[in-house]
Amino acid sequence: MAILDIEGLDLRYRTDRGPAEALSEVSLRVERGEAIGIVGESGCGKSTLLKAVMGVMPPNAAITAGAIRFEGRDLVAAGPEAWRRIRWKGVAMIAQSALNALNPVKRVDAQIAEAITTHESRTRAEVEARTRELLALVGVDPGRARDYPHQFSGGMRQRVLIAMALALRPPLLLADEPTTALDVIVQDQIFRRIGALRGELGFAMVLVTHDLALVIENCDRIAVMYGGLVVEEGPVAAIATASCHPYTLGLYNALSRLGQRRQPVSIPGRPPDPLAPPAGCRFAPRCPFAIERCHRERPVMQALSARHAARCLRAAEMNDLRPAAALPETWEGPQP
Amino acid sequence: MTAYVLRRLAYMAITLFAMITLMFFMFRLLPGDPTATVISPALDEGAREAMRRRFGLDQPLLTQYLAYLRNLTVLDFGLSFRTSAPAWEMIELRLVNTLLLILPSMIAAYAIGAFGGALIAWHRGGKAEASVVLFATAMQSAPLFWLSMLAILVFSILLGWFPTGHIVTPGRFPGPSWRMYLTADFLHHLALPFLVNTLYQLCFPLLLMRSTMLSTIGEDYVELARMKGLTERRVLYGHAMRNSLLPLATTLPMILGWAVAGSVVIETVFSWPGLGLLMIEAISGSDYPVVQGAFLLIAVLTILGTFVADLLYGLLDPRITYR
Repeated sequence: MAILDIEGLDLRYRTDRGPAEALSEVSLRVERGEAIGIVGESGCGKSTLLKAVMGVMPPNAAITAGAIRFEGRDLVAAGPEAWRRIRWKGVAMIAQSALNALNPVKRVDAQIAEAITTHESRTRAEVEARTRELLALVGVDPGRARDYPHQFSGGMRQRVLIAMALALRPPLLLADEPTTALDVIVQDQIFRRIGALRGELGFAMVLVTHDLALVIENCDRIAVMYGGLVVEEGPVAAIATASCHPYTLGLYNALSRLGQRRQPVSIPGRPPDPLAPPAGCRFAPRCPFAIERCHRERPVMQALSARHAARCLRAAEMNDLRPAAALPETWEGPQP
Repeated sequence: MTAYVLRRLAYMAITLFAMITLMFFMFRLLPGDPTATVISPALDEGAREAMRRRFGLDQPLLTQYLAYLRNLTVLDFGLSFRTSAPAWEMIELRLVNTLLLILPSMIAAYAIGAFGGALIAWHRGGKAEASVVLFATAMQSAPLFWLSMLAILVFSILLGWFPTGHIVTPGRFPGPSWRMYLTADFLHHLALPFLVNTLYQLCFPLLLMRSTMLSTIGEDYVELARMKGLTERRVLYGHAMRNSLLPLATTLPMILGWAVAGSVVIETVFSWPGLGLLMIEAISGSDYPVVQGAFLLIAVLTILGTFVADLLYGLLDPRITYR
C-alpha cells in the first residue's frame, strides 16, 4: 500500500473576485521510502498541495473533491481531529522559511519537545534525551538546546527544523523548498544530511521546489505542476531524457548547466489566472507547439509507459518535437 | 542586567527630582493667593499675616523650596490649606478608595481585552468579530464622563439597580473605617463605576490585541505549530496569543496615565471619594500641598510603571538584551 495516495484532489480558495482553483484533479502516489520531487513555477499549487496534505489550509480554502489517503485512510473524510493526530506522527514537514518557522520567544528544545509530547506520553527525561539525540543527528551541538532561535544561524535553524520533523520518526516527510533562504554551500550540506538520514531511517519524502536540478539530484520520481494541475509525472531518468510535456521541456531549458556555452532559455508569458483558467490546455497560451485543438480541449493524463504520464494532447508526437524544444528560437515565437 | 537596572534606577531618581522641582515652582507661579480661599480678604490684615507665617509663605521662595525638599524625605507634604490636616494623610485615605476601584478595573479590562481580542481575531471574518469591533470602536470614541452619566441614568435612575454615587450609603460610616470595605453596601456602590470604567478601558487592549493577533496568525511559526499537530487551543494560547502579548506589554506605562485620567472622571461623576476627586477639589481650592502630593504620587507611579514595563518586555521577549 502506498504511504500517501492523493486522488483527484480539487482545492478552491474563496476570494473577493470569485473562487480560485488552486488544485484540480491532482493525483499522486508516494510509495514507502520513495522520494518524489514536485516542481513548477511560483503559484502552480505545489505549496498548497503540501499544506492540503498536512491539513493546514487557510480558512478560505476548501477541498471540493478527491481524497488524501495516508496508509489507506482518507484524511479528508476522517475529520479534523483524526487528521491532527496523523500530523507530524505520520507525516511531518520541513517548513519553507527557516528564519520565521521557529517561534522567536520559545527555546528550541521546548519547540521540539512540544511536538513529541502532543503525540506521545513521555517523561520529561525521555523527551529531553530524545531532543538532544535529534539535535546531534542533524549536526547541531545538543548543548545549545536551551538557546533561542535568534541565537542560531540560518543553516542551523534549518537543521533544527529537520530535527523537529524527525522527532516522531514519521514514515513520510514533506519538504517545502527547505533551502530557499540559504546559500548554496549550506543548501548542499542540508541535502546531504537529508539524504544520509533517509538512508538511515528510510522515510519517504516529497520535495517541493522550483529548482529542477535539486529534484534530479535528490529524488526518484518527478511530478511537474502547472496552474494547479500535475502535467507530467515519471521517473527522474525518463523526465530528464524523454520528457513528453512542452512545459517540462521549457523548465529543462531554463536550467543553467556547467560546461555548456548555451544560455538558459526562459519560458515567456505568465502562469494562468486561477480565477479564469484557459478553456483548453492551461499551458496552451505559452506553448510553442500549441495547435488549435489545444485551446479548446482539456488534455487528460496520458500514460506513455508504465510509470510515465503526461497531460498533453501532442504527447505522442513529442519525440519529434523535442529537438525543436531545445532551441531558443522556438520559445521566442509570437506570444499573446 | 544588574548594571542596566542600577542605571535605570539612577535615571528614575533624576526624573523624580526634576518632577519635584518643576512641580514646586509651577504651583508658586500660578496666580491666586491660597490664603484668600481660606480667610476672607475682608478680614483684617493681621490674621492673614499670621496665616501666611504659619504655612511659611512669608519666607523667600528658595527657603520654601529647601523646606519642601526636606519634608518630602519624610513623606511630609505639609498641611492642607483648607482642612489643616496633614496632606499625606488625606491622600493616603483617598488612595485606598481609588486603588480599590481602578486597580481591579484596569486588570479586568486588560485581561478581558487581551483574551477577547485574541479570540475574535482567531475566529475572524464572522459577524461576531464585526460587531465586537464596532462596539469597541464606538465605546472608545465616546467620552468617559458621558458614558458614566448615561450609565447612571439607565441603571441607577431608570432601572434602580445601583446607587447613583458615593462609596457607601452616606451616613453609614461617619468616620474613616476599614470595616466599610467589607460590606455588601460597598460592593453595591463599587459595581457601576467599576463596570463603566472596565468596559471603557478594555476597548484599547482589545483592538490592539486583535490587530496584533491578525498578523501573528499569518506567521510561519503559527502554521508550524499547527502542522506539529498541536490542538487548536495550544496553537492559540501557546503560540499566537503568547507572541501577540508583546505590543500590549509596551502600553503598560500608558495605561497608568489612562487609569489616572479615568479615575478623575469616574470619581467626579460617581462622587467616589478617591484620589481623583480629591485632586479636583484641591485644585479648585488652590490647596497646594494636597495637589502637589497627589501629583507627586502619580509621577512616582508613572515612572515606576515605565520601569516595570521595560523589565517585563525583556521577560516576554528573549530577543531583548539589557545593556
